This record gives sequence, C-alpha cells and structure tokens, in this order.
Amino acid sequence: MLVTCPTCGRRPFTEFSFGGELRDVASPDTASDFARVYLHDNTSGPQEERWFHLLGCRRWVTLTRDTGTNRVEA
Amino acid sequence: MPEVRERPLGVIVCAADPPALDRLVAPGHGARMLRVAPDELMAVAKRDVIDDVRREIHDRITVLDDDALVVDDSDGWTAIALTGPDADRALSYLSALQPPAADDLVQGDVARVAAKIVREPDGLLVLVPAYWGEHLRTRAIEDAGGMAR
Amino acid sequence: MPSLRLDGRRLEIQDGDTIAAAAFRAGVRTFSRSLKSHRRRGLYCGTGDCANCLVTVDAMPGERACMTPARDGMRVDRETGWPSAERDALAINDKLHRFMPVGFYYKVFARPRWLWPLAERVIRRATGTGTLPLDAAARRTPTRFVRVRTLVIGGGVAGLAAAATAGGDGSVLVADEATLGARVTDPAARETVARLAAEARAAGAEILEAHAAIGIYEGPSAALLGPDELVEVEAEHVIVATGAIEAHGVFPGNDLPGVWLGRGAARMGATHGVSVGERAVVVANTGEGQQLAEALRTAGADVTLLAGRVLEARGTRQVNSVSVLTPDGRRALACDALVLSLGWAPRDTLLRMTAEPEVVGAGDVVRPGCTLAEAEASGRAASLGEADEPREADPWPIAEPDGYVCVCEDVSMHDLEHAWDEGWTSSEILKRYTTATMGPCQGALCSRHLAEHARAKGATPAARGRTTARPPVRGPRLGDLTGGVHEQVERRTALHDRHVAAGARMDHSGVWLRPGTYGDVNDEIHAVRQRVSVMDVSTLGKFLVAGRDARTLLDRVFPLDVGAIAPGRARYLLALDEAGYVMDDGLLAALHEGSYFLTSTSGGADKMEAWLRNWIDRLDLHVHLVNRTAQLGAINVTGPRARELLATLSDDDLSRGALPYPGHAEITVAGVPCRAIAVGFVGEVSFELHHPRGRSVELWNALLEAGAPWGIRPHGLDALDVLRLEKGHVYLAQDTMPDDHPAKLGLGWAVATHKEEFVGKRALERMDALPLERRLVGLRFDGPPQRGHPLALDDAIVGRITSCAVSDAAGGPVGLGWLRAVDGAFPTVLRAGDVTATVSPTPFYDPEGARLRA
Repeated sequence: MLVTCPTCGRRPFTEFSFGGELRDVASPDTASDFARVYLHDNTSGPQEERWFHLLGCRRWVTLTRDTGTNRVEA
Repeated sequence: MPEVRERPLGVIVCAADPPALDRLVAPGHGARMLRVAPDELMAVAKRDVIDDVRREIHDRITVLDDDALVVDDSDGWTAIALTGPDADRALSYLSALQPPAADDLVQGDVARVAAKIVREPDGLLVLVPAYWGEHLRTRAIEDAGGMAR
Repeated sequence: MPSLRLDGRRLEIQDGDTIAAAAFRAGVRTFSRSLKSHRRRGLYCGTGDCANCLVTVDAMPGERACMTPARDGMRVDRETGWPSAERDALAINDKLHRFMPVGFYYKVFARPRWLWPLAERVIRRATGTGTLPLDAAARRTPTRFVRVRTLVIGGGVAGLAAAATAGGDGSVLVADEATLGARVTDPAARETVARLAAEARAAGAEILEAHAAIGIYEGPSAALLGPDELVEVEAEHVIVATGAIEAHGVFPGNDLPGVWLGRGAARMGATHGVSVGERAVVVANTGEGQQLAEALRTAGADVTLLAGRVLEARGTRQVNSVSVLTPDGRRALACDALVLSLGWAPRDTLLRMTAEPEVVGAGDVVRPGCTLAEAEASGRAASLGEADEPREADPWPIAEPDGYVCVCEDVSMHDLEHAWDEGWTSSEILKRYTTATMGPCQGALCSRHLAEHARAKGATPAARGRTTARPPVRGPRLGDLTGGVHEQVERRTALHDRHVAAGARMDHSGVWLRPGTYGDVNDEIHAVRQRVSVMDVSTLGKFLVAGRDARTLLDRVFPLDVGAIAPGRARYLLALDEAGYVMDDGLLAALHEGSYFLTSTSGGADKMEAWLRNWIDRLDLHVHLVNRTAQLGAINVTGPRARELLATLSDDDLSRGALPYPGHAEITVAGVPCRAIAVGFVGEVSFELHHPRGRSVELWNALLEAGAPWGIRPHGLDALDVLRLEKGHVYLAQDTMPDDHPAKLGLGWAVATHKEEFVGKRALERMDALPLERRLVGLRFDGPPQRGHPLALDDAIVGRITSCAVSDAAGGPVGLGWLRAVDGAFPTVLRAGDVTATVSPTPFYDPEGARLRA
C-alpha cells in the first residue's frame, strides 16, 4: 500500500507510522471527550487519517484512504 | 563492484519557518543544502568549514525568522559513500528507493532504517543517524559491496 | 559420458536432460510414495505443477525432477519410502486405508493424551518428504529491489507478446520460472516464442529466466525467486501469463505411474526423445489430441487417440489397461501409458491472490485452450489496457466416484464423501478437514475439483468457491526469505566498543544494544551507593524545543506546569495520551527564555518526536523542534563522590547553588563541553552529562581514569534495575500497563491539575471521579521473591509482582507490584507462593531523599 508524502512522494506504508482517523484536538466538556477519544467512526469507505513519515521526513500528513480498497487518494 | 566507505562530514540543522527557508541563500564553502522538510534544512559540508557554514546560515536565517534554530549536528550522522559506476545498482540491494537525480534529496528506508540519499560526482552518499552507522556500514559492505555481478 | 547418481545408482545424462528425463530413460518409474497410503507415484504433469517428482538434489530437498536440469556429478535421492522408494515397508498402509479414513488422526490419537507425542513422531517420519541438511552452512539469498512500469510473469506466447507491445513505452521486465520455451513442444509454438522473444528484446524488455514469481502483493508488487537471488519488484502493471495445464482426471487408478497429463508426456517425447511407453492411449477432449499423439508417435509409441470419459485405469506397479466411455460406447484398452487432455486448469494462483485492477491476465490463463494467435492477441491487448477477463475453463472433467482428488495429500473421492457426510459442507472447510489443496502443489491439480464437488453436493454459492490463493505459490527456502531482512536492527552508542572491551554483556534493550553488566552486578551497585560510578545513557531521547510557541506547546501537551520551571531548572515530565494514560516519562529543562531541552526514555524517542510534531501541526503552533538523540551522547556520573570526581576534571561551579537539584548548567568536563543535568533516578548525587557524541569516548576515558582513586566502576542495566527499585521508581512497560493513568502509579504529584487544558485532562477528570480499582504498590518480602509471581489474598489472586530484588540498601527483599482493590480497600498483606509480601511505602532507601540533595 502506498502513502503519498508531500515532501518525499509516494512511499510504501512500511515507512510510516499510523496515527488513526482524524479527530478534533479538544472537546468542549468531559462528557463529549469520551466520545472524541474512544468512539471512532470506523468508516467503511474513504476516511481522513493521520500518518507520520517515520523513515523519511518525519512529518505528519493528513490523507484520505478508502478502508475498503486500502487505496490512498493521490 | 562499488566501493563502500564511511565519509566524515559536517552537518548543520536549521529549523525555521518555511517561507524563511525558501528565501535562504546558500552559504557557500561547498555546502549542500538539503530541504528535508518544509520547516527543516540540513546543510552538509566538509568538517573543517562547518563552523563557518553554521555561522553564515545563522546570520542569514535569523533575519528572516528571528527564533530559528541553527545547530551543529555533525556528530549525529554517519555518511556511507557508494562510489563507482555500480553505485546505483549497489543501492538496489539495500533499498527499494530509486536513487536521486543530480541535485535531489531522497529520504526513506535504506536497509530498514531512516536514511537520506544524495548523488555525488563519484556515486551516492547515504546518511543515517549515527546510532545506525555501524548497521548501515555492515549492510552496505555485505549486501551491496559483495555484489556478485 | 556425464552422469548423475539416483539413490546411489549411476544414470547417464544426455544433452538437455532434466533429472526426470534421465531417470525415466533409465527405466525409473516410481519417483515418490504418497503421503498416507505410500502408493507408488510416477511422473504425471511433467511441467512442474504437481508434486510427484520432488527429489533431493545435492542435499537440498524439494526439487522438481522434471524442471531441474541434470548435471554431471549430481547426487539425487528420492525422498519418500522406507527403506527406499522402490521397496517401501509402509506400502502396507495402502491395504489398511480402510482403517485410516480422512481425519482419523484427529480421533484416534486424541486419547490417551500421552500417546500423541509418540504417535506424532512416527507420523512425521512416515509422511515427511525429504530431510533438511541441518549441518549445511547458513545461506542468505541476496535480495534486490527493482521498479518497473510493467512486469510480465510468464515468458510464453502471451507473455512475450505483452512485453513486445509494452516494451517501447517504458521499463518492462519478463520473468519466467524456466528458460524461455523450455516446456513448449509444439513446433509452431516454439517458432512463435522465438519470434516474440526477439521482438520483446528489440523493444527493450528485460527477460529474467529461471526466476519464478512466488507471490503478488499489494502495490502491486511481486517477489521473484531466482537461483541465486530474490528480486522484489514494484510495478505499475502486472500481466500474469502463466498458462494452463491439463485438468486433473479423477477416476480409479488415476495416480498410477504411467498416467500422464498431455503436455508433460509430449515434452518427454519431443524434447527429450524418450517415449512414455510402447502402447499409449491418449484421451483428449480439448483440441490438442492430434498434436499430442504426433509428439508421442515421433518418440516411438504406438498411440490410440480417443475422446470421452476415463472410467478406470488398472495396474499394480504401473498402468496396464484403461476403460474409457466414448461417444461410441465403452472401450477397454491395454496400455502402458495413459495420456490425458480432458480439459484445462489455468495456472491462475497468482491472479487469484489479488483484486487490484492493475494485475491482469493474458493467454491460456484467462482463455484456457486458446490458439497461438489468440494467445498472442491476448498478450498484446493486456499491455494496451484491454486485458481479457478470466473465463472458466470448459469442459471440466467430471470426477468419477472414486480416485484421488488431491494427489499430494492422498485425499480420495471417498474421503470427500465421508467428510461431507460428517458435516464439513463447504469447500473451505472440506479443505481444512481433509487437507485437500494443502500439499506442495497448493491445489494446482485439485482446487477446482474441490469446488465442483461442493457444487455437486448442493452447497450454497458462498460455500462452493475456489479456496483462497495465498503466497507463496510454492515453498521457498527460509534462506531465500531472509535475504534483505536482517537480524534485529541495532542502535549503538559511541561507547559500544568501550563496553565490549571492558567485558560487558551487551543486551538488546528495546532497539538499542546496551551493557547489562560488566561482570559483577553487586560491585556495580556498591560503586554507585558508596563511591562513584558512570553509566552510558546516550540512548535517551533528547530534543531541543524553541520558537515563540514553545512554552505554549509544552504546556498544552504535557500535564506539568511549564511556566513554573525557571531557566536553569528542570522537572520530571510525564507524557500522557488522550485517554490520560502514561505513554512515556522524561525530564524538561528550561534553557534561556522560551527554549527547552527535553529528554524521554530510550525506547520512547521516536514516539515523542512524532507526538510533539503532531501537536505542533494540529494546533498550528510556531515551534522549532530538533531531535538531538543521535547528536548528543550522555554519561551519568553518580555516587557520593560524583561531585568530587567532576571537580578534578572541571573548573566550573558544581555546588548546589550553581547546579540545583533538579536543574542544569553548561559546564566543561575534561575539556568537553557538556550540559550537566542534576537527576535523581538512582537516588545518589548524579550528573547527567550531555555532550557531542564525537567526544563520548574521550569523556568516558577521562572519567574512568580520574575516578580510579575512588574505585570507580561503570554500571549497566542490571545494576540500574536494582538501584531505581530501591527508590521505588517505575520502569515503564515493566511496572506499568498501557492503561495506567498517573494516580494508579502514585504519580499524581506530576500532574498540575490546576492547568486549564492539557492532553488527557478531561480523561483524568473522568477517572479521578471513579474509585481506584488497581494500584502499583511497594512491597517488602520475608523471603526471596520472583518477578511476575501472582500475589494472593486467601485463595484469590489479587495482584502480581512486577519488579523485585534482594537489596542491601533497602534492608532486604523489596519490589513493586499490582494490587486490586478487594471490597473497596487495598489489602496490605499478601502471599506470593511461600513468601509473605507486605505493602510498604516507597522509597525503600533514603526515603527523605537526603542523599540526593547533598
């Protein structure tokens, strides 16, 4: 599976570490925080995700991956 | 059969705002500027001029970004040179990465560790964090240097 | 005359012979004995698809005799049958097969339990194929990586046509598991292959012979196994043109030596000039009958060509007659070779491994039974993006009520029936219960028969598909798979050689190689507590954090009060994740206004960097972060004499006034510029000296030399484990679990709860409102404790020992462990086997911390 890094180009996913689906950085209150941290959308289909290019430039990228086909949008 | 040799280098790392790095003029002294990330630049030069390189980069970048960081990272990297006409093929034994064109920087997995590859007039230069230096040296000699064809 | 030895017997080799050809010419008819019943098996497919002819060549087992070129001096051994393939004592199994129905070993050897290990040994001996040469030198196959535009797997008519058409466009690689045309016997086909190979080469395609594709993976990418290398290919397009073999015939006697698939028999005749027999019967329902008959006649056989259904083959050591139902009625014929062309089985395993649209098929594999012209057109179309869709082969021979379905695993039609009756009613589960398709040929012969059987029995569409195809296509050697994949990648500090020279036992500590001990752990511990010692802590994660938002970032991400750290001071730092759990710990030192130096655990450096960069990015903060882990070495100088030692090597003021605890200062030691951080992990006065890695050896040597009068010793991880335990400090991942928030670890003091926002704050608020159910506690024992041992209250297990040691400084055996609350309260006295454990406050040693503040 190939991941596109804006600095380094299209690379095998093994060069990255996976940061999960894109979430908000904070919640307005304690109650909604539980949902933000634990209840993931787990979409079947295109999903926005965070990937860290560990073996390359060591920066994060947000991208869209289709969880059904495991393809990353170019 | 390529030659595999460790090459001592001076390295300066500059962390600054992307627009500032875009406008930074190279310092001279034969320094090679590698833009490893939008907000980070690595300058590679001979050890004996690295202090001058650092000073020049510092003076130039702080005008464009006053809290930019410029540090000497020379001890933090091991550079392995693959020299000779077979250098590109030697790399294919260590990495799935395509070797860089003339002035480009390629970053990615070489022998399973995070590496940066640049092209030199006599071949390829592979840089890894110094704690992986021994690993890369051994792999390069065994896998690439020992090429049968 | 060149020759090889087969089981010691010398056989002549002629030009172009495979091992199978040389053996067959010399009269060898039995090549192996079957798995269960030990029936004789002879050459069958002749094209490398079945497993009947697997032999050991020069001590390497599992080589296909029909695909391996014979060489002068080769030593070939048949792998099955005892004492030999010709005279096999276990042939008796064939008579006993009534007592060994499918799956019998699950039932017979289940009880008594003690019988199984014995039975297993016997079964393994009886069913094994070949012996591994355990004293052979370890061999690692060189691996190289290639990226191409188009990869063509299979150098036949379709594959070469595809390469020829694609060649002009970009990089094209053709891989064939044999030499081009090795298995092509028809003269017209040979000519076509030669023409297309020339065209492909002229168009710039690279052709790799003797490279078998063993799997197709995501990418798409493929692994090619050559005689001396593994090539990992990344391609934009993959064209699978692996062809087809004749369908496997299932009828009584179908596994007798002398029964052949058509092209294999033709190859023996046309390529090697060896006749498969004197009287051959060819049963062909495909269009190739005439062609096959011609090839056999040329080699000298008397051939009868029929079309129809094979009902039965008879014979003892080999076939001697066959019964065929033709359109004109039933015919019985005497023969010594039965050649089958009953239908087509595409070699589609690779195609079925992937659903990626970039992987397509061409030729026989998608249009089984196509003509040469159709195959060529199919190849050209595939490289133009108009590949043919796979079409199911038609006709497919009906299986008779008896006969071997899975030849590799000795699974007969009766076995399938029995299994179905027992309730295993889908192709996937039938496979697992009977082991059909699980042999060396991986279903090349039988996977469609299995699916057809399920269909005939009325299985639902979901339960009657072909079983899943997975890499590898054929078993590779372990050495082939390890090429390019190394032993654990190790990180080394600059002092590595010094540790080794000092006799240290180097341990894998996470990703690092670190000294466990230099020989005497107790001496090392005493050096730290009574005198002075040094430790290589260069492995620590180290970061420089600067920029106008540096403090904002650190305050937002970590639970400590960053603003309360004045320049020159340092604080213990906990890193929490968004669920409030402890991810890592370290130290945060405030440098001149607005910039910071941060350390993490040795194993946590990469994660810490990723963590910080994530927040910089998501919060859009102006922060400059540089990872200094590689650039800086670090040496911890520790012990009651530490300050005295440093004073001999440094003119800088090291008193508590100038260098408070916890705090830091820039000093020079033995001429090396260092940042000295006053730390307290082991509970003695300690200075963690961060310095340029290039000067580590110099600094280390200077410290050891200057410390000699005090009896300085370096200490390693073993000693560190005890020292920190005596102070009650936790080791992440040893004493902690992934779902520990600070309160569980007694680290609530490291959280500045008054702060408005930090990562994990809301989670901690939520958890702090709940009663604590589990805690990490200090323990004192009245006997020697064992790490990992459960802690019991009466008969219930309520905890576990996570760390322990017998400690002089602590006054006896001490440890840390988990405790569960029982009826709302935490027990205070527990049993760990024969030992009593009492919950005890920590630190065990110097609880006031007086030693540290000296």
